[in-house]
Amino acid sequence: MKMRKKFITPIVSAVMAVSLLAGCSGGNNNAPQNTGSTNSGSETVSQKFELGAQPLDFSFYGHYDWYTMPPWGEDASSKWIKENKQVNIKAIHSGGSAAQKLNTMIATNDLPDVIWMERGSDVEKLRQAGMLVSYDEYLDKYPNLKKWLGDAGINMLRSEDGKLYQFPNWYTSQPNGNAGYVVNKKIYEELGSPKLETTDDLYEYLKQVKAKYPNVTPFEPHLAKDGQGLDVLYSAFKEDNQKFPPMRAVPNGSELTSIFTDSAFRESMQYTAKLFRERLITQDAMTQTLDQVTEKVMTGNVAVFAAASPTDMAMQAHAELTAKDKDAGYFMIWPVHKEGLDKNKIFPGTYTQLGWNVMVITKKAKDPEAIFAFMDWYTSPEGQSVLMWGPPGLYWDGVEEDGFTPKFTEKYVTEADELAKLQGTTINMNWLGNTVFVDGTKAKYESTLPEEQRNWSTRWQNEITWKTQSDATEFINLDPMPESEEGIIRQRIEDIFLEARAKALFAKSDEEVLSILDQAQKDAESAGYDKLLKFKTEKWQGNLSKMAGNS
Amino acid sequence: MAQLPLGKGSNKQQPVKPGKHPDRSGRNGLVRFVKQLDIQLMVLPAMLLILVFSYIPMYGLIMGFQDYNIFLGGFRGFFESPWVGLKHFEMFFDSPEFVRVMRNTIVISLLKLFIGFPAPILLALMLNEVRNMVFKRFVQTISYLPHFLSWVIVAGFVMSMLSTDNGSVNIMIQKLNLIEEPINFLSIPEYFWGILVTTGVWKEIGFGSIVYLAAIANIDPHLYEAASMDGASKFKQMFLITLPSIMPVVIIFMILAIGNLLSAGFEDILLLGVNPVLRDVSDVIDTYVYRVGIQNSRYSYATAVGLFKAVISVGLLTMANYIARRSGNSLW
Repeated sequence: MKMRKKFITPIVSAVMAVSLLAGCSGGNNNAPQNTGSTNSGSETVSQKFELGAQPLDFSFYGHYDWYTMPPWGEDASSKWIKENKQVNIKAIHSGGSAAQKLNTMIATNDLPDVIWMERGSDVEKLRQAGMLVSYDEYLDKYPNLKKWLGDAGINMLRSEDGKLYQFPNWYTSQPNGNAGYVVNKKIYEELGSPKLETTDDLYEYLKQVKAKYPNVTPFEPHLAKDGQGLDVLYSAFKEDNQKFPPMRAVPNGSELTSIFTDSAFRESMQYTAKLFRERLITQDAMTQTLDQVTEKVMTGNVAVFAAASPTDMAMQAHAELTAKDKDAGYFMIWPVHKEGLDKNKIFPGTYTQLGWNVMVITKKAKDPEAIFAFMDWYTSPEGQSVLMWGPPGLYWDGVEEDGFTPKFTEKYVTEADELAKLQGTTINMNWLGNTVFVDGTKAKYESTLPEEQRNWSTRWQNEITWKTQSDATEFINLDPMPESEEGIIRQRIEDIFLEARAKALFAKSDEEVLSILDQAQKDAESAGYDKLLKFKTEKWQGNLSKMAGNS
Repeated sequence: MAQLPLGKGSNKQQPVKPGKHPDRSGRNGLVRFVKQLDIQLMVLPAMLLILVFSYIPMYGLIMGFQDYNIFLGGFRGFFESPWVGLKHFEMFFDSPEFVRVMRNTIVISLLKLFIGFPAPILLALMLNEVRNMVFKRFVQTISYLPHFLSWVIVAGFVMSMLSTDNGSVNIMIQKLNLIEEPINFLSIPEYFWGILVTTGVWKEIGFGSIVYLAAIANIDPHLYEAASMDGASKFKQMFLITLPSIMPVVIIFMILAIGNLLSAGFEDILLLGVNPVLRDVSDVIDTYVYRVGIQNSRYSYATAVGLFKAVISVGLLTMANYIARRSGNSLW
């Protein structure tokens, strides 16, 4: 054996040397590419790019673990866009680990033309590295974003250097969102339709459910490890809640303070722990998978279902259940509140004017202006109509006198199932959703229909959820960059919060809940929570002055 | 599997005493190398594999001593990122999670070593005594199939079996009147290590036993005949013949297992320990690196922690090998 080893050594070192050289030269090859693609796009300023006049090809990456772009051109909507607008989009998939995929693409200098991602640190990182194309010179030429979002919103999206690099998705100037409570109609009526307005009412109701229906989950909080129903319950204890749990901070005057010491949060955790202890909340709350939740809701085995967006699942379940039994199904209730609070100031969910996420164009793109022209069309009423209601001539044909509201055909009602199927696909391609146009159009049309024909979600959105979501625009982009000192603190606080919330849920008594939260506060303090809160406060105040200065 | 190449490796022409190499002169060695050229070439692909996937990536370890900037791109990043010395190592040792992460890593590994390691040997010994070939094959097939399922699937099974809402395990023990209310298995920290180790054993026991069964099959049947003539019972034969005969294989696998002591597992813990309430018992080095380092793109930090782990592992491996050398069954 020793003999053989002697010969391995020279071979190993020889091959290693060769491959190191190869590796280095590979690295050098990358450099010229870097500089080559920085300054394209500025040459085509003079004339406007007309979408559809010439083919447009670009690659698209959705920066989410869960996201897989539907194949482009396989459904009626994108097929129409492909044929009529000559747009061809090549999907790049995250393969279930988005963070790694993006970092690999950055490290190998192999970015896609377009990235669809969360606002915040990732966008900021790319911008600081000079990898993004700014939109400013296109804004007036392609006016849809200006028209539908407005200058105030655009200013909020601007980066520190004063330029705009991100195109928002589902941006809005009016409330939207679906957070709230869905109630099982059959169980509710069989229990005599009791009053369900306060947290005490809810507790009593859940107890009744547990006694009468041992196999039904009284309160289903969706994936509680992500907050979901737990955050919804918190909103019952605090007026004007604006997404404080996900911020891990609560505003107090002009400062952001610890969530662990917030009396409403402490009270809500005690309440939640009580429900959990008495098995009124599913004991699988922290561990269950989405499949398990879906199964329970679809089979009507939950009495109350609360989540950040329970409507999509509940709508399907409602259709399924009512098909078998007319009296079954789900409905939504006005958010519950703690006795003594104003029920009109209870907001289980939030919306921001900037909507959900954003689309950025990287400097890899050969013709960024063409891509921006496409984005402009995509978010326009015509683009949105094609994505939401299929190609023209099918479910809609032509527009009303205002020039943009589509005229729905009879098929919109008679083939509602087919349309829903199409929407199931296109919803995952609507990266630049225009909330005001889409919601406004839906609401206008639905209000002309008799009640039983109305879409379940649209109905409850109109009656309840849109009235009970608060505007959290001032709280966007509070998070520090992950490698910064505050970023490292944020990571610790995040761990402490998630652990404390889970432990509090499993606490045996009200006192234990408080002692867990006290301990969490102590741990958070020694991890540097104050510094993080100060950072977030500054960002928040910065947002406020940005908004005040521009609106 | 590991035994065969080792056996063939010894010199055929000259009798070799253990521990001593009779001829070490370079010229003679070269002659022998040329003689064995065909065999030597067979090693080449394996060496290339190790080179490309193990040695070259080691270059990236310098990230652990830098504030690596990913935007500079792969190799430029190595050359142009600022050096920070042991900053990331200190940050890890000083972090409040350090003690917890190390404790969990070591405890989970030791549990896996003491329970997960002997389990396949036991199964192999038991299977060896089964005389009905059909039954033996059946058990073997059933027991090694789970090895081919990914952890995502296995964790999915376990989670739905152990869930409180209609989980089959809870339903069963409720029907047996052993408990009144379902037990929330996956949210009770005390149960976590047990569930983790049991699931791991279930998944890997069959596949692990294949090696030992192969080693058992190599044992000279005459040994058993002689033993039974001398009046040794089946049980005694198992302990006095089977077990000592496969000892070299067992020891080699033991050394490798000790070298992996700080790799307590990753996918299984990540998938089964989703409930944050379990962090106290479930957070190990690998999940910590993933959560804090990779997910937040703090690559330098992740590299430093990974390097720390690797250094300890090499130390453990060397130690285990040193001890095993006394029994004459070491790796090198």
